Amino acid sequence: MIWDAFLLSLRVTAVATVIILVAGLGLGWLFARARFRGKLLLEVFVALPLVLPPSVVGYYLLRALGSGSPVVEWLHIELLFTWQAAAIASAIVGLPLMVQSARAAIANVDPALENAARTLGSTELGLFWRVTLPLAKRGILAGLVLGAARALGEFGATLMVAGSIPGKTQTMPLAIYDAVQNRQNDVANQMVLLMTALAFFGLWFVRGLESSRRRRPQAESAA
Amino acid sequence: MTTAQRTGLVIDIDVRRDGFRVQAKFEAGREVVALFGPSGAGKTTTLSAIAGLVSPAQGTIAIGETTVFRKGGAGADVNVPARDRRVGYVFQNYALFPHITALKNVAYAYGRAPDAHGKAMRYLEMMGLADFTDRYPDELSGGQQQRVAIARALAREPRILLLDEPFTALDESLRRSLRKELRAICDGMNIPVVLVTHDLSEVLALADRVVVLEQGRVVTEGSPLDVLKRPGAETVSRLVGVENLFEGVVVAASQAEGVTTCDFGGLQMEIPYSPLPHGARVRVGLRAGDIILANPRPVGLSARNTLPGIVRTVARKGFEMEAVVDCGREVRVDLTPRAVESLGIMPGKNVWLVIKTNSCFLIE
Repeated sequence: MIWDAFLLSLRVTAVATVIILVAGLGLGWLFARARFRGKLLLEVFVALPLVLPPSVVGYYLLRALGSGSPVVEWLHIELLFTWQAAAIASAIVGLPLMVQSARAAIANVDPALENAARTLGSTELGLFWRVTLPLAKRGILAGLVLGAARALGEFGATLMVAGSIPGKTQTMPLAIYDAVQNRQNDVANQMVLLMTALAFFGLWFVRGLESSRRRRPQAESAA
Repeated sequence: MTTAQRTGLVIDIDVRRDGFRVQAKFEAGREVVALFGPSGAGKTTTLSAIAGLVSPAQGTIAIGETTVFRKGGAGADVNVPARDRRVGYVFQNYALFPHITALKNVAYAYGRAPDAHGKAMRYLEMMGLADFTDRYPDELSGGQQQRVAIARALAREPRILLLDEPFTALDESLRRSLRKELRAICDGMNIPVVLVTHDLSEVLALADRVVVLEQGRVVTEGSPLDVLKRPGAETVSRLVGVENLFEGVVVAASQAEGVTTCDFGGLQMEIPYSPLPHGARVRVGLRAGDIILANPRPVGLSARNTLPGIVRTVARKGFEMEAVVDCGREVRVDLTPRAVESLGIMPGKNVWLVIKTNSCFLIE
């Protein structure tokens, strides 16, 4: 049961992390660099899951993925109570952390550097890849780890859209709840320790990113 | 078709940006043109438009034989993206990529071309930086950073070179030597160079022609000396802050006394000591506000230059008055209306001009 839940959690988190990376980079760039109507509205919308109760997010997702929704009616994709639904729920809840971090990191890159790349013949995608991304790397990685950790720990929204089917949609947080309900204390203990260790190393990594100086020695003022 | 259209830059644009408007119209051949004016005049915006980083509301920009921008004129609209304009741009503060070495900064211009590093190396060698290729920008001095930025711009094999305040980040002693280097590079390239600056000495040292911008408009243009000397170019003299400009020769210099004596067509003046040889040609600037008028001849002054002259005209200039005094050549002097009244300054009156040595400054 522990390993089923652990492997499922890894799978859900991995997929959620990929979604968070792609969507978070795109939205972070958009919020840092683009100007468009309704930008503020979109920013608030993306950040909402951070402050809403997960059950509320889960309820919206239930309506969005459930019968009668365009996803089911037009695309004929049934996602409710599958691990994919759990991945989507985890991604949506983890995304705001990534977006905030990526936005700040990208906004911090001097636009003059991007302009320099343009005059040197770079395409927009090329300069994003070769200039913006390397310079914003640390903030983006930190946001990604925080978002992934949040996705790994997702409980409420996942329960709403994927249920808690052992071996199918029961991720670690849900399994822990189940174990406690069934008074399987040693199972709960092991899983809690595992989760704590993961969270601990995730934060350790982020903290290291934030405080790490470049390893290159600074030149003594060359003249 | 003008010469500039065939070989250089033709620009006539109207840029609107965040409630501020720049209308710039000028041409440049294969020469160094300085865009000169106070901050906020639209100099950098004009450069950005040439590079394709800013789109004008309307106008045309042609580099060499290619129209890179056209909107609202005859023919179809054109807007070549910045990456395809082949413009060498040296940004203010250089905008070197901080995460890659000097060599990779220069090689950036070649993308993934197979011999990118070899080509980049040649430009770094040309700029005397062969030993610094593996340094990151923050491990280079200001002067070295500037040279990497120039190497990177030249590596683009540009059709035009744009320099935005290339010396502001450097200290004074470095400026002088790098100015000479830059002038030599510009001379060797045979493409138009547009230099943005608000420093008069840079204009005089580097530019073949100067275009003066103020509040988003071209106020005047011409050769640097012509523009500075042109009578009635009020904006220019105000921008420059030098109403009097003399050309002459050195007749004596004494390091011990700290003065160099110059002859300006019969008018002898002492200026601060400068190690120039006898007979060297000099240009000396003198602000109208730094000159004292006296009558009768004052005695016991520390000021070393006391010259007799006759007042030609007295005219209002804002809250002040400006007198033109003839003492072998015309000198402009600023006075308050009260001083004009109490001294009885009027055309035809004999006066003495009192000028401190330190108010005369050598323009290089």
